[in-house]
Amino acid sequence: MRLPQARVALLEAASATDARTVEQLASDTDRKPETVTRAAFALRDEGLVDVAERVEESASLTDEGETYRDEGLPEVRLYRAAREAGDGDPVPMGEAVDAAGLEGPAVDIALANYARKGYGVVDAGEVTADPDADPDADPETAALDALAADESVDDADVLDRLESRGLVELNERTVRSVTLTDAGVTALMEGVEAAETVDRLTPELLTSGEWADVEFAEYNVEADAPAVEGGREHVLRGMAERVKDVLVGMGFREMEGPHADADFWINDCLFMPQDHPARTHWDRFALDVPPAADLPEGLVDRVEAAHRDGVGDDGDGYHSPWSEEFARAVALRGHTTSLSMRYLSGYADADLEPPKRYFSVEKAYRNDTLDSTHLLEFFQIEGWVMAEDLSVRDLMGTFEEFYRQFGIEEIRFKPHYNPYTEPSFELFGEHPETGEEIEIGNSGMFREEVLSPLGVDCDVMAWGLALERLAMLTTGAEDIRDLHGTLADLEFLRSAEVTY
Amino acid sequence: MPVVDIDTDELRGLTGEEKSDEEFKEDLFALGLECEGETEEGLLRFEFGPDRLDRLSVEGVARSLRYQYGADRGVYVPETNDADWTVEVDPSVPDERPYVTGAVVRGVDLDEAGLDSLIQLQEKLHATMGRGRAKGAIGVHDLTMLKGQALDEESETSGTIDAASADLRATEKTIAYRGVEPDGDRFVPLDADAAMTPADVLSDHPTGGTYADLVEGLERYPAIYDELGLFSFPPVINGKRTEVATDSRDLFVELTGTDQWTIDRMCAVLCYALSARGGTVEEVRIDYRDGATFPDEYGPDLLRPDLEVDEKSVAHDRIETMLGVELDRDEVVDLFERSGLDAAYAPRGDGAETDSAEGGEAETVYDVEIPPYRVDVLHPLDLVDDVGRAYGFDELEPTYPDIGTIGGRHERSRLERAVRASLVGLGFEDTLNFHMTSPAENYDRMRIAERDPGDDLAGAPLGAEPRAGIASPYSEEYTQLRTWALPSLVQVLENNTHRAYPQDLAEVGFVAWRDDGETTRVAERRRVAGVLARTDATYEDAKARVRAVCDDFDADLETPATEHPSFIPGRVARVVIDGEPAGVVGELHPEVLVERDMEVPAAAFEFSLSALR
Repeated sequence: MRLPQARVALLEAASATDARTVEQLASDTDRKPETVTRAAFALRDEGLVDVAERVEESASLTDEGETYRDEGLPEVRLYRAAREAGDGDPVPMGEAVDAAGLEGPAVDIALANYARKGYGVVDAGEVTADPDADPDADPETAALDALAADESVDDADVLDRLESRGLVELNERTVRSVTLTDAGVTALMEGVEAAETVDRLTPELLTSGEWADVEFAEYNVEADAPAVEGGREHVLRGMAERVKDVLVGMGFREMEGPHADADFWINDCLFMPQDHPARTHWDRFALDVPPAADLPEGLVDRVEAAHRDGVGDDGDGYHSPWSEEFARAVALRGHTTSLSMRYLSGYADADLEPPKRYFSVEKAYRNDTLDSTHLLEFFQIEGWVMAEDLSVRDLMGTFEEFYRQFGIEEIRFKPHYNPYTEPSFELFGEHPETGEEIEIGNSGMFREEVLSPLGVDCDVMAWGLALERLAMLTTGAEDIRDLHGTLADLEFLRSAEVTY
Repeated sequence: MPVVDIDTDELRGLTGEEKSDEEFKEDLFALGLECEGETEEGLLRFEFGPDRLDRLSVEGVARSLRYQYGADRGVYVPETNDADWTVEVDPSVPDERPYVTGAVVRGVDLDEAGLDSLIQLQEKLHATMGRGRAKGAIGVHDLTMLKGQALDEESETSGTIDAASADLRATEKTIAYRGVEPDGDRFVPLDADAAMTPADVLSDHPTGGTYADLVEGLERYPAIYDELGLFSFPPVINGKRTEVATDSRDLFVELTGTDQWTIDRMCAVLCYALSARGGTVEEVRIDYRDGATFPDEYGPDLLRPDLEVDEKSVAHDRIETMLGVELDRDEVVDLFERSGLDAAYAPRGDGAETDSAEGGEAETVYDVEIPPYRVDVLHPLDLVDDVGRAYGFDELEPTYPDIGTIGGRHERSRLERAVRASLVGLGFEDTLNFHMTSPAENYDRMRIAERDPGDDLAGAPLGAEPRAGIASPYSEEYTQLRTWALPSLVQVLENNTHRAYPQDLAEVGFVAWRDDGETTRVAERRRVAGVLARTDATYEDAKARVRAVCDDFDADLETPATEHPSFIPGRVARVVIDGEPAGVVGELHPEVLVERDMEVPAAAFEFSLSALR
């Protein structure tokens, strides 16, 4: 039989007739008690030894107990001093205390125990030592000495007294003792060999089959392991992927298109008048490039007509200037709704027939000051549904379903105004952690002045929100700059909790 | 979004409702006005969507509340008295600001709060419809301080005026809108003690400086005169003589601008507010007939204010499909009236004659009357929104539309995800960097020189493409789009020198540059970029990873030697994928590293995402 070394040693040290404690076996085999205990249980599981357990009370000295064992109990020291000074006659207390070398609490302790133990009388400021008392026979001193020498003390009253004086601590511990079973004896007689201990499992051990006969050195499995920095998907990117998953699952198809685009697609198609305050250079990122080429001609005319005269018999236009030159100016898109315009017009892809659902999670640009919740660049989630006879209720139901996927229940729809949607709603939801009501998106039904020039003659409902806002809600990040951009803190990215 | 500051005592007076501030806040939230807090003067500040510009004053807000409470119903139009004053427009008026409108309001009860509200309304209208006074500017004057010039005999008998209009013209007093040369006249403006010329106002008066750009470069400035002389210099400042105070009772309101419709609507909003203060509106004649430019759609001879009620038709069916609920016709009429509109329904189309009270084949259509302060109603759909708000959008039960569509991602989106997964698998930290940067980061600190637009880019180092710049940048750090991604990764390294190494960073991201051959004049591309910063980083480490990514996408990689100023000479190669040049790989130049206080070497690569297709 081949067994790991610790077990072999234990088997050899154990006896069939004499139950031996783990401690005894540990010192016999020169191993740690934990190792012996583990080996004993393993051998018990193989039926080679029996392990008996009993609970043992033991006593040990406290620090104070140790001190008194070295220096003598205070009452004993007082007795000796009083005896010496008075030889049976009363001695002034101060003199006796000084002679005994007692100070502080030790004085009170000495006085409290002096009479109890029959060393004499303390009265009227004087100490008398009883000449018949024998300090050398003090049972408490004897008990302290015995415990210090690891011997047992049988007098329970003395132990209790010492414990109540805080000189001794009483403990319970489990004592395990090991006895060889018959099978153990047989195994020993047939011969038990120690297996080799190895540090690492090597290719040679595996291929030779030797792994079966070796013992693996035990590790301290609770020790710290070195930190490993694996690669990770960016936390915001992970959020974008999750949003895309949800939208694809809801039947939405992804859009793509230019970041730098003609104002025509960014604003004019959206029925934003050219003198709208949001179209001044303060809010947008106009680029220093020549005006865009190739705007679709018929569409440009229809959009201009919508701006000037409105759409339909009862429609009114804006009383604002409109020029194609202004519409051709190129800027970074302030929203990804420019993509929606390209798709709805059929310019990006083919002409679309209802029903359709489209989305994008792409960057948009805002000329704004940078702070903990605003970036110049952010990801906009944009989505729209095109179908015959959509109602405001359909809009509400769709967006409730979307937010429910992110744990945001109870959406509130606050009537709102956008130049390109009517009716329009700001979406409010409850922060999943703080319970605060916060704005989580903007939505509405595209106006006919938007859809009619694009050639769409059914309803389209749309909504948008910043991905960062959703990410901050679900990750608890407080400063958006930690997440996004070149100021990113690698430590933050490495330790951010993964969302899924 | 516009804000309006409200004195709730005023609101109590104007609505006749003794409600608490809290109750008003709730009622106003339901109208879409959100309380933002208190001003220093103790007024409540509300923010709202920029559609209902009639709510830019406490009077308009009170009017909306009265409709909400049911205290008012339907359309209200103030009575107007016949004109006593004429504004004659002179051909000398600058072409850049040709139009004028106005009104007289008598018997206004202006206390301190009322005057503050009037000033606030003017300022807010300037900021919104008036487009910072460029499109429309308001002047309000104490009428008693104006002296009208009697019309001269000559024009009265002029043969060009027919009898009817001569009758119309029989107002007693005139003032004149005309052009004045910058130093052509003097007047004492508001907040000044001495007479100044318009040019002096622009250069020396604080308000003049603010609005100088609106008249800059004009040969003649807009000016309004009465018999005593110049009293208003629109759109800059009024004269002190006609300043309105709390004891002013009769007001003269004038508006000038670039669009007649816009100033007429601003004037209507003002008249409604002053009428709510007990004023009686009196018409003013606007006379463009002396050769001045006049608005084509209205003609040269106008009576203002224009408080005409507009009319639009909206189909019952459209209301029902948009809100997703069935409604009784009388209920719809009720909802219109509670919105401050008037509506009457009639069947239209085939079967109109056989229509019964229960509704039949014919379509029910509402003729809706819209008061002149509703500048936001452009289309019948805007009326459907009003019905929805009055009905209460909160009352609608959400439904999930029963529409089947097929979802999916586009090819580039899938490719980006796959490449990112490949890089993360190789141990790279995925980063997400700004697309905007500065020439210092994009070119200078990478030791490359920007090419000029139109240069042949063949042979140019990756990243040297000419920039697409931001025309009016906010910050020096963000003045252009990045032409390559590697500088962003190096910036992240620079900002994290205190963090543990190795730092292996990657990005699959957007780059762009000026290219006049593109319809948007900007070439937009996606790149795969990575950097390995560690004590033992070498060219080989970077190339091994490029190869691993190429292997993942079954692409063939070659790395012929090249030169690139960002890299150490002799340790840089072109990345050629499937025979096409795609990017660069090498050890970053020590100057690039030292510039960023880096104390470890770094190997890096960047190539086109599309090369992996």
